[in-house]
Amino acid sequence: MRVPLHTGAFLTALLTLAAPAVAEEPPLVLIAGKVLTMDAEGTVHNPGMLICQGRELTYVGAPVEPPAGARVIELPDGWVSPGLLDIHTHIQAGGFQDINDMVQAVNPELRARAGLIPANPLIRRACNSGVTTVFGIPGSGTNMGGLGVLYKTKAHEHAYSKIVMADQGGLKVSQDSNPQGRNATDFGVTRAGQGWILTDINERALSALRRDHYDPALEDLKRALSGEIPVLIHTAGSEGVMNSARMWGVDYGTRCFVSHGSFDGWRAAKAVAGMGVPVNHGPRTIDYQAAMNGRVNGSSAEYVAAGVPLFSLTTDSSVIPQEELFLQGAMSARYGGDPYTMLEALTTNPAQVFGIEGRVGSLEPGKDADVVVRTGDPLDPRAAVLLVLIDGVIEYDREATDSGSDRTRR
Amino acid sequence: MMPPRPLLPALVGVLLAGLAAGDGEALATAGAEGGEGLALRATKAIVAAAEGTQVIDQALVLVRDGRIEAVGSAQDLEVPQDYALLDLGASWLMPGMVDIHSHAGGTRGDINDMVYQTNPGLRVSAAVVPANSGLQRPIAAGITSILFIPGSGTNIGGQGFLMKTGLEEFERARLRDPGSMKLAQGDNPTRWGYRMGRVLMNYHMRSAIRRGLAYAERWEEFEAGRAERPERDIQLDIFRELASHRTQISVHTQYYQLVMMSVLMLAREYGFDVYIDHGSFDSYLTTPIAIENGVAAILGPREVMVPSPPRYDTDGQIQGTAWGFQQRGHPRIGFNTDAPVVPQEELPLQAAMGVRYGLDDEEMIAVRGITIVPALTAGLDERLGSLEPGKDADLVVVSGNPIDPRSHVELVFVEGACIYDAEANGRRW
Repeated sequence: MRVPLHTGAFLTALLTLAAPAVAEEPPLVLIAGKVLTMDAEGTVHNPGMLICQGRELTYVGAPVEPPAGARVIELPDGWVSPGLLDIHTHIQAGGFQDINDMVQAVNPELRARAGLIPANPLIRRACNSGVTTVFGIPGSGTNMGGLGVLYKTKAHEHAYSKIVMADQGGLKVSQDSNPQGRNATDFGVTRAGQGWILTDINERALSALRRDHYDPALEDLKRALSGEIPVLIHTAGSEGVMNSARMWGVDYGTRCFVSHGSFDGWRAAKAVAGMGVPVNHGPRTIDYQAAMNGRVNGSSAEYVAAGVPLFSLTTDSSVIPQEELFLQGAMSARYGGDPYTMLEALTTNPAQVFGIEGRVGSLEPGKDADVVVRTGDPLDPRAAVLLVLIDGVIEYDREATDSGSDRTRR
Repeated sequence: MMPPRPLLPALVGVLLAGLAAGDGEALATAGAEGGEGLALRATKAIVAAAEGTQVIDQALVLVRDGRIEAVGSAQDLEVPQDYALLDLGASWLMPGMVDIHSHAGGTRGDINDMVYQTNPGLRVSAAVVPANSGLQRPIAAGITSILFIPGSGTNIGGQGFLMKTGLEEFERARLRDPGSMKLAQGDNPTRWGYRMGRVLMNYHMRSAIRRGLAYAERWEEFEAGRAERPERDIQLDIFRELASHRTQISVHTQYYQLVMMSVLMLAREYGFDVYIDHGSFDSYLTTPIAIENGVAAILGPREVMVPSPPRYDTDGQIQGTAWGFQQRGHPRIGFNTDAPVVPQEELPLQAAMGVRYGLDDEEMIAVRGITIVPALTAGLDERLGSLEPGKDADLVVVSGNPIDPRSHVELVFVEGACIYDAEANGRRW
């Protein structure tokens, strides 16, 4: 099924590595059976072709004559999709260490980037499964865990500046369940108490903003409250979802989104949709307790039906392994969701939540060449990943991995 | 969970005039917002108005757009042409019941944060689950509105939330937020820490209140242009609402001494709108100062004084708390359940036990105690508590006198929509 690489072009590519002048690199051409662009029109090329020049896509469409000197990869049975995005992950430090500092109930001054280990084994697994952009955040042990870092999961890149898209990607807030068990015999065991703690620090930050007062602990929170960076709110249950969306979306008017929204959170879907607050759902996307109707309710389908904007899915990795992000989409479709909508929930929608849709989330000329090739439909658990490109670089190649030779470019 | 639902087929048989029976679409929406009008004919309607006629025999009630349009005798009032008519036969019609001491508005019981001794900044609205599963039996009992409040683990538990029980949307269910500030005198708050006594707790409360009122005053000065903008203190924000009488203090208080202190401190000294919650045992001895300071007595779930000499001697008699207030001339006596301490659905039983222990039920005093009295006390009488034109069409159809435990609820309407039908949905309790 795999057409051998054009050896000459491959050698050229290897040689070019020595010289860092990116513009002189020959283009990489990918020809495949099906290309799901995930663009605004939902265009599918069947078959299709991509041309990557450097880190960008320069052509996405029906197969044409490849440019001279191009390195051409042909996968006639392959399905091409954009790299997937997961905007609620904890793999940046290679495990669950270094994500929860829990002395204080709110820690807006902490930054997850301090724990980031590039190309750690968990990041490599993310990459190999086609998850190419993630928002790596602190844990939910306290009501405000700190700032997350938005980065690409390059399996072989160790340079911080080459993987990070936004060093201070957004604020992580936790408003339900987990922080209640902080075990500090402390304030905030009730939802009312947590609401108090969060309102209190927000008011202190707003006061500092009004007085133009510098406070190192509040500088990042000020930026979240003035809409400069997004706010991710770990929240669940209908009362949690309702209350979080009202506090952050309406009362404080931040660029917030609800994350998790599990259990009977979907019952607040209509209200959240009315407030225009996006929902990032998972890793539990079903509910069979709240409705007490003997039925397993697919909560992804409920959120989408209620019209929440920019619905996306998450693994909360490594709560659920990062490589199973696609499965969140598959199971959401299994429980009543529209499969294409669930694919949007893994690509374009999370990109828009972070305002990075100009770079990632769909395959269009001018965007980053973050590309995944599978043996079938991205939501089909039987389909395997063949090839992953990030910023135009082959970061995973199944054939090379299987044969023991590393044909990736590092 | 019960969405607002159409009148069910079981009812269609008793629809007589106006619309032809079987006109399903019109029936489904009759009475509710945007639908056709609805006329209800009952053998007896308890009006429960603040003043005036309390009962109308052979009554007719007209409902349109979720509100009560007219109430009167079937002889005087005509059924307009395009109204669906529902004849309730021998059943009684009454306003939806109101319980202003309940903890059933959420589902997880997280109502006590107990690190601080006073927590006026805590908002129980964070824990609200509209129309939650625990409210389904209360709905079937005709309890259509509640005040959901924090617990009594500390002296000031936080801010309550006034809500309708049967509406699924948060914004529609919300009647007022903050619904009250919950203050707890004596007994329960001693659970905090080292069992401090009443005197120190009283100091804590006065201290919080003094700071709160000073804060409210600073804002008043700012708004009048006489001072700089104060820093916001979310712990004290609610005192701005209290100082301007936009909300009340609901005070967990019982026994003569504590109730007396509640009235003197909160109403007389600081001038808040305040009402007695619980008022168990011999609290009726405070009646003169309660009347003098306009403090309502919302009693329950324990509303008797049993003889316990030598401290409390009643000559061997069990005395009803409601009786005691009434004997001394208190005009505003109501009841609560403290649900789930006593099940929310047993609110009418609280009123019935008041009568059992001596309350004279002339002029529907007992039913008023679970409808118009709590509505007036919570400042919601413009919308709730009686069958009067302009109010929300929250209606309950009962097989007989609502405080007779043998009666059962047949239909419940919230804002004109039927949300419970015993025949179609089955009795829930």
